[in-house]
Amino acid sequence: MSSNELLLSVEDVTLRFGGVVSLNKVSMNQRRGEILAVIGPNGAGKTSLFNSLTGVYQPQEGTILLHRIDQPALSVIGQKAHRVAKAGVARTFQASRMFGALTAFENVKIGAEDHSGLGFVGAMFKGPRTRRGERASDARTYELLEFVGLTKQANTVSASLSYGDRRRLEIARGLATNPTVLLLDEPAAGTNPSEKVELTELIRKVRDDMGVSILLIEHDMKLVMSLAERLYVLNFGAVIAEGTPDEIRANPAVVEAYLGSSATKGKN
Amino acid sequence: MGGFIHYFSSHFQTLGQEFWPLLVGGLANGFLYGMVAVGYTLVYGVLRLINFAHSEVFMAGGFASFFVMQHLVGTSSPNGISSVLYILIGILVGGLTGSLIAMAIERVAYRPLRKRNSPKLAYLISAIGASYFLFNFAGKEFGRYSVSMAQPYTNHPLFTIFGAGVQMYDIIIFIAGALMLFGLDRLVTLTKLGRSIRAVAQDAETASLMGVNIDRTIALTFMIGGALGGAAGFLYGMNVGVVYTMGFTPALKAFTAAVLGGIGNLRGAVLGGLILGTMESFSVAFLAPSYIDVTAFGILVLVLLVRPTGIMGERLGRSA
Amino acid sequence: MKSLLTNKWLKSFGITATLMVIICFMTGPSGSNTDPVAGFSGSLFNSAPFLGLFITRRWVVFLLFALIAFVVQQGWQAYGRQVKVRYAKVMATPRELKSKRPVRLGTYGALLLLALLLPHLVTDPFWQVAMVQQIAVYVLLALGLNVVVGFAGLLDLGFVAFYAIGAYATAWVVGSLPLPPLFGHALNNFWAIPIAILIAMAAGIILGTPTLRLRGDYLAIVTLGFGEIITLFANNLNGITGGPQGSRIIPHFHLSLGPLKYVWGNGPIPYYYLILGFLILFLVGFSFLEHSRVGRTWTAIREDEVAAESLGINPLKYKVMAFAIGAASAGFSGVMTASQQNFVFPTTFSLFFSINILVLVIFGGLGSIRGVVFGAIVVQTITMYLLHSPPSGYQPADLYMYIGAMLVGMMIFRPAGLLPATRRKREIVQLREEAQ
Repeated sequence: MSSNELLLSVEDVTLRFGGVVSLNKVSMNQRRGEILAVIGPNGAGKTSLFNSLTGVYQPQEGTILLHRIDQPALSVIGQKAHRVAKAGVARTFQASRMFGALTAFENVKIGAEDHSGLGFVGAMFKGPRTRRGERASDARTYELLEFVGLTKQANTVSASLSYGDRRRLEIARGLATNPTVLLLDEPAAGTNPSEKVELTELIRKVRDDMGVSILLIEHDMKLVMSLAERLYVLNFGAVIAEGTPDEIRANPAVVEAYLGSSATKGKN
Repeated sequence: MGGFIHYFSSHFQTLGQEFWPLLVGGLANGFLYGMVAVGYTLVYGVLRLINFAHSEVFMAGGFASFFVMQHLVGTSSPNGISSVLYILIGILVGGLTGSLIAMAIERVAYRPLRKRNSPKLAYLISAIGASYFLFNFAGKEFGRYSVSMAQPYTNHPLFTIFGAGVQMYDIIIFIAGALMLFGLDRLVTLTKLGRSIRAVAQDAETASLMGVNIDRTIALTFMIGGALGGAAGFLYGMNVGVVYTMGFTPALKAFTAAVLGGIGNLRGAVLGGLILGTMESFSVAFLAPSYIDVTAFGILVLVLLVRPTGIMGERLGRSA
Repeated sequence: MKSLLTNKWLKSFGITATLMVIICFMTGPSGSNTDPVAGFSGSLFNSAPFLGLFITRRWVVFLLFALIAFVVQQGWQAYGRQVKVRYAKVMATPRELKSKRPVRLGTYGALLLLALLLPHLVTDPFWQVAMVQQIAVYVLLALGLNVVVGFAGLLDLGFVAFYAIGAYATAWVVGSLPLPPLFGHALNNFWAIPIAILIAMAAGIILGTPTLRLRGDYLAIVTLGFGEIITLFANNLNGITGGPQGSRIIPHFHLSLGPLKYVWGNGPIPYYYLILGFLILFLVGFSFLEHSRVGRTWTAIREDEVAAESLGINPLKYKVMAFAIGAASAGFSGVMTASQQNFVFPTTFSLFFSINILVLVIFGGLGSIRGVVFGAIVVQTITMYLLHSPPSGYQPADLYMYIGAMLVGMMIFRPAGLLPATRRKREIVQLREEAQ
């Protein structure tokens, strides 16, 4: 599925909090259209990596480039999170972070709306442009809710959705911003086995039907191995291995650092 | 252009002539600001919010010591050892009242919200409400006009430094302020309570898992901050007099001092207070007296613009 | 047996009794700085009637009140076990008001009719003036502050500053200040409206942009300071603002379209209708705003700023927008007040004023437009009633004590206000569930 064209290139990224090194010279890349996964034990720096990729954290060293089709590549470090999002990086969060007081529909609609202008005068008096904008984002929202299979729950307050539904809603909300890459932070955490299967299918569908590249952090090995085309393994903030699922399974360093240690603890 | 330069050079000349007297007065005020500022900074450390009602702790300390002084000193003009005694009593009464009021504020205006996991906006509104209630309640019970305190000492220039007369009042503030702030610093650095406060400031959840009683620690933090704020209320009222609205302006300045030094940073708050007091004092050379209060506000906005983490940086939970 | 008389009951009675003691002191006689005990002892030992039944010491009266309140509260709590079910309902209700549209429009029509007829129903001159100066204008102000505090969740304690800017801008444009008017000659008051709005907005943006980048609570203190500073400048810049005397020669609104001439001078009623007209405009505009992209985004930012930013939303932009809209509506209210009262001077614009408006918003319900209108009308009517015919022992300055107590009480017991906004209520319910 993936082309050879680069989408994201991360080079020697180091992120420190005071004296604690959270990411240590991390280098990785993702090709356009690829489903890529980052795995590693807890505290390996996966979420820090996501936060660096989305402009939430600002690493002290290294470069992160987001390659775009008609424009020059965007250097992510130093950009505000909302700029990175606008440039085409959407994400979900580890513990899903919905706008709990809004309905499922409104949650997605906020993502679908154009936030580049001010437009409050139009909003106060329902000007023609506002009306057009509302209609367009309503249509897009409905489309996305249909895509993730949440049309029935459209008017439900998002805080009272089930865990699996919230996960899907978050994906829809991310997709609403028309991203080129979607970062999923442990999308399967807290879901039951049947929801997991549905979620795996949904993620694949996002890539296949919408052409959005996927970057995934996940603990569920079965899900990762079946979904990802390529993986990076992080441990103590550094990349220790890279390769296809089969290669990773066979890599002794990974088995020792990650699968081995967790296998002995009887986890995962 | 020439006139402009002349205007400023003449002001700098004034500043040059008045440098030492202005410095002494500014540092005295600075100690007071510092004493109030540590209250903001301590509470900010444990709750991550600005205690808007802290101004009323200052006011309460002022009033309580006012009544006690009225009673003790009356119309006599004490000096020597009795002055020292009266001042100690005043600080004690002011500090005690301050810490009681601070505890009450925590109990009534903050703790119920904490138990309900209220949004941050609710805390701010509740704090404003508490401040409003307290100073207007004081106005109702103790009258709404300013009165001067019975002086427990005789004010006169003690000695001069580079020609600047250092008043008795300045000396009292220097000694009392320095001792109390030093004591606080030791308390937070060395004692078990201090460790608990720092632990809660760093990570309340983990601290509670480690056996720190969060409610108690927060209450005590308010009380410690309140004690210094109340004592400052006495020291301030001794010179300026007391009135139910007396807390507002000094507290706004003390808050500026806390931000200037780096909110959450105890030593920063003291340093911020001293710098602010001095700068404000020097601005006398440039501004009409009615604009002096603008200096503090200008500094606040400037700090927020240029270096919002303050001079010494925000150091929540680390040793002072 | 001992555990039956549980600590819980004692504690709950203790809280009720403490509240009653505070109320007892609040409503009692005043003291003074020569006799600080007088107020407290009077509050406890003066005689007072208990519900018109018998006369006894005040402390007994309030103890009895505490008992009654305690019993009522215990009963309420037994009922309150069902409250959880109600919470569940709050979370489940979809915002689907369209089905009840005829009912809604009917209610609005009836209220509008009442508002139009009100000056003919209320004929007491005190109340006619109060209706304009203290109620209509305050509703306008409360609606504006609601955008900042209610919609965007930002605490603005210097709202009065923008109101003052609006009032002084009016005086400036119509040529009533020592400062020469904007275009060299005096203009009609109507021109003051856009100019005042623009100046207030600009001030809001200049003050808001640096502050809103930082923690939310810094805004509160910076605006607090700003409110004071504006008053200070108004008071001292004699050559520009007229100093403490201000300006007392601001003309009324007047209209001259060819042969048609009209002056809004004849008593408060013409102003009532003028303000009512604008008020309806604001009401419609702000409720559209609430349910627009902008309103949704404010809710999103309030709930989770990081998540909002991940959708390409610039939180600072939306916050400054809310702040500027609030400032603009305060500026507009300033135009109305200055024109109606014909004067402007610094002491009107105190911190008390900002807090007063805040109370109106909180009482009715943060973020709820109907709540804010209702809250503003109710609170201001009570305030005016207390001013018009004060109960014995009540001094006008005591009002602020009650206001402070009310703010704390509302935040603890009814943070979403009397007529809460759906979204805000959901937020609070969610947070409480999390705490449990």
